[in-house]
Amino acid sequence: MRGRFGKWLVGGPPLLYLLVFFAAPSLIMVLASFRSPGEFGGLAPLQDADGNLDLTVESYTRFFTEPLYWQIFLKSFWYAIATTLICLVLAYPLASLIARSNRKHRDLLLLLVILPFWSNFLIRVYAWMIILGPNAAVARTVNGFLGLFGVEPVSLLFSSFAVLVCLVYVHLPFMVLPLYANLEKHDRTLLDAAQDLGAGAWQRFWRITFPLSLPGVYAGAALVFIPAFGIFAIPDILGGPDDSLIGNVIKQQFLETRDWPFGSVLSIVLTVLALGLAGFAAWIGKRSVARLAVGDA
Amino acid sequence: MNKLIPALAAMLLALPAAAAKDQLHLYNWNNYIAPETVKRFEEACKCEVVQTYYSDNEELLAKLAAGAKGYDVLVPTGNAVQALIRGNQLKPIDIAKVPNAKNVDPAVMNTKFDPGNKFSIPYAMSTTIIGYNEEKMKELGLPTDTWAVIFDPKYLAKVKGRVTVLDSPNELFAAALKYLGYSANDTDEKHWKEAADVIKKAKPYWAAFNASSYIKELTVGNIWLVHGYSNDIFQANLDAQAAGRKFKIVQGMPKEGAVLAVDSMVIHKDAPRPDLALQFMNFMLDGRNSAELTNLIGSGNPNTSAAQYIKPELKALPAVFPPKDLQAKLEQLTDLTAAQRRQRSRMWTEIKAGK
Amino acid sequence: MHRPPYLLWAAALFAYAFLYLPLIIVIVYSFNDSKLNAEWVGFTLDWYRKLADNNEMLQAAGNSLLIAFVASVVSTVLGTMAGIAMYRYKTRLLPVLVLTPIAIPEILMGVSLLIFFVLLNFTLGLLSVALAHIAFCIGFVAIVVRARLTGMDESLVEAARDCGATPWQAFRLVTLPLIMPGVIAGALMAFTLSIDDFVITFFTAGAGTVTLPLQIYSMIKIAVTPEVNAVSTLLMLLTLLLIVIASKVSPSLLRAS
Repeated sequence: MRGRFGKWLVGGPPLLYLLVFFAAPSLIMVLASFRSPGEFGGLAPLQDADGNLDLTVESYTRFFTEPLYWQIFLKSFWYAIATTLICLVLAYPLASLIARSNRKHRDLLLLLVILPFWSNFLIRVYAWMIILGPNAAVARTVNGFLGLFGVEPVSLLFSSFAVLVCLVYVHLPFMVLPLYANLEKHDRTLLDAAQDLGAGAWQRFWRITFPLSLPGVYAGAALVFIPAFGIFAIPDILGGPDDSLIGNVIKQQFLETRDWPFGSVLSIVLTVLALGLAGFAAWIGKRSVARLAVGDA
Repeated sequence: MNKLIPALAAMLLALPAAAAKDQLHLYNWNNYIAPETVKRFEEACKCEVVQTYYSDNEELLAKLAAGAKGYDVLVPTGNAVQALIRGNQLKPIDIAKVPNAKNVDPAVMNTKFDPGNKFSIPYAMSTTIIGYNEEKMKELGLPTDTWAVIFDPKYLAKVKGRVTVLDSPNELFAAALKYLGYSANDTDEKHWKEAADVIKKAKPYWAAFNASSYIKELTVGNIWLVHGYSNDIFQANLDAQAAGRKFKIVQGMPKEGAVLAVDSMVIHKDAPRPDLALQFMNFMLDGRNSAELTNLIGSGNPNTSAAQYIKPELKALPAVFPPKDLQAKLEQLTDLTAAQRRQRSRMWTEIKAGK
Repeated sequence: MHRPPYLLWAAALFAYAFLYLPLIIVIVYSFNDSKLNAEWVGFTLDWYRKLADNNEMLQAAGNSLLIAFVASVVSTVLGTMAGIAMYRYKTRLLPVLVLTPIAIPEILMGVSLLIFFVLLNFTLGLLSVALAHIAFCIGFVAIVVRARLTGMDESLVEAARDCGATPWQAFRLVTLPLIMPGVIAGALMAFTLSIDDFVITFFTAGAGTVTLPLQIYSMIKIAVTPEVNAVSTLLMLLTLLLIVIASKVSPSLLRAS
């Protein structure tokens, strides 16, 4: 199916769906970022008393002139990057194992990865509160160890550590699945040939497997980084007093502050940043794949 | 597989149509009405009560501000009622159809934001106070009748990492303002800055800003002192006793005063069944029905004819039935203007960002 | 075929342990004789008994399953199409529309969809929730399918066409089996996202529409009792059962042969 006809036949339906149920509603909120907040909530009327359009860039100027929000964006960025990297390290062996298994086991192993995530999110976070609670085994062991050096006991719960652990936990399947989908199609004979030529296990991984898996790595990284950048629920439940992220600030604008225009501005900036960073990473990725392919031949 | 999808689609589309019989749509907090009460109302009105829940006034306001409809009765708190009235979201109440409204204590009627109770009738109350682990506080020799124990570093040092406060700018600022001796509804920016400084000084000692899981942690014994709602703290004690814990969870009413939250029943302007709504409101204002909620969750009760049905041990709790001298110090929160909300939001973000 | 090195096994097992530790706690605590999800007190089946009588919770669970099923099927179909289109053709608007729902904060998307539905006078209910879920799930499927396609040998498809296959046959018999692991992975993600969504569902649900996350989050300020653990455990088992049955019934669909 080549050419324009194929493009519209295959790409048309999803395009249409997203135009109607995503682009149109989103444009409403993009417009909202140029309006004023309603006195009692929501948005102020589009036309003021004289019938003129009441549009303003006030919310944007407020955002760009206050360093406070940039600091919070930066904090969220670090949490999201850390989550992505840790997920990658944890997910790679798991995805490899599943990809290498024979067909019978593969489906089961894959299902086992995703099964825990069909229980409710809140319940899983509460489970982490139990695991990291001050009287549970983990905290006792850590604090006992620290006590040997005379260090004061730390609270694992309501801390950045708890937020990070939970962030990794919640996003892990979204790294495993894309990686698996990519690793599964790797040709085993390439690795066999390399081994016959004398390449060790690490070399086989680093020179063959990893570069070939990069599209999967980037897909997984995008599906972890982008949502993690804007998350709010986990800091709300498990976080300490300093662990407020940009997602929390945005939620606050829509709920307590009822300042939808400013909430829209923050959301738009978040979206642009998240997509921009992902796009930038993909661009770098394409260049380094090319270099790897050419450089080590 | 091919036939399944159209069948499912047909099912989904048919679902709204199936709901054609007499229904009252109640949008309420979870566990804020006793199941027996609902059943009795359903028998009395020969209708079905369909409940949907929210867990925060702000969620309710956001959803209605975006235009959601289909709800008959809502149960927002005072400042949210104010926002809804000013935003023209409510239908006036035909008080002639709600004769039981006379049962409500005049002290909570006729508020500034709803003079004459044209739009709202009080349903239940709670106060935002201190909750504490009795054993631990005695052991540490800390006072339990003042906000100082939440805000003053000299007390906080003894409970570092064992205190939580509510994750609500309105509630926390109100508490800080009360601690400083101002009104909870004070809108002077200087006073707000003072309150923000008090909060920032105390923050390093707090374990978390938490509105959801703090009760659990209090009951288990991980947290010893909370800034929380009287209903929740009452519930925490029941849970602690049921779990056989050796300590009691006690409500502490600060002498500087506290926030009183009065939840009222209101009718949404696009309510599909305002007639059923009025019937429901009248039913809930009957003493016996009103008392059932109090007995269930320990909520304050503005209904004078409910007193005879309420368990005596609940009547003795000052946080649930504040004595007259304390009532003077309790304040209901009023809604802020958009400009004030922005200002407070900025201060709050600063506090939470750790600056 | 080499046996995977022990280090790989150990790392993978550690990852599985990490995934399952909280789940084990969830399941174990569904038998906990305490209202709070905080400490082990004793064994009881009470929560399962309570759940059997809790029509609200059961209906919410049923709604969640229904919506998740519909949303994952539709978004997998649309997402696969989008992934193929993005890979094969030069598309500029589609990648943006596909990726942005993943990045956009849920609360913004929820509020905007609500305003949109109200503007259109569209009755809120289960359907509005399903439509919203599909919108944000498409992206996840599309990204995985596209990643799977990258580096795929187009010559196989060309060969099929040269042998006289129609475009649809070439797709069904050559392309689809090759991308099937990606499609399955995407479908699993879409299902998971839908069944657990709270924010967008909160705003797009109608009066009287309750899904399991809505029900559970409303309990957050009182007590999230082990009844929730019980319903979660049952839901997981039920979904697992349904998928196992589905794979037995249509083996050709799930096997990447």
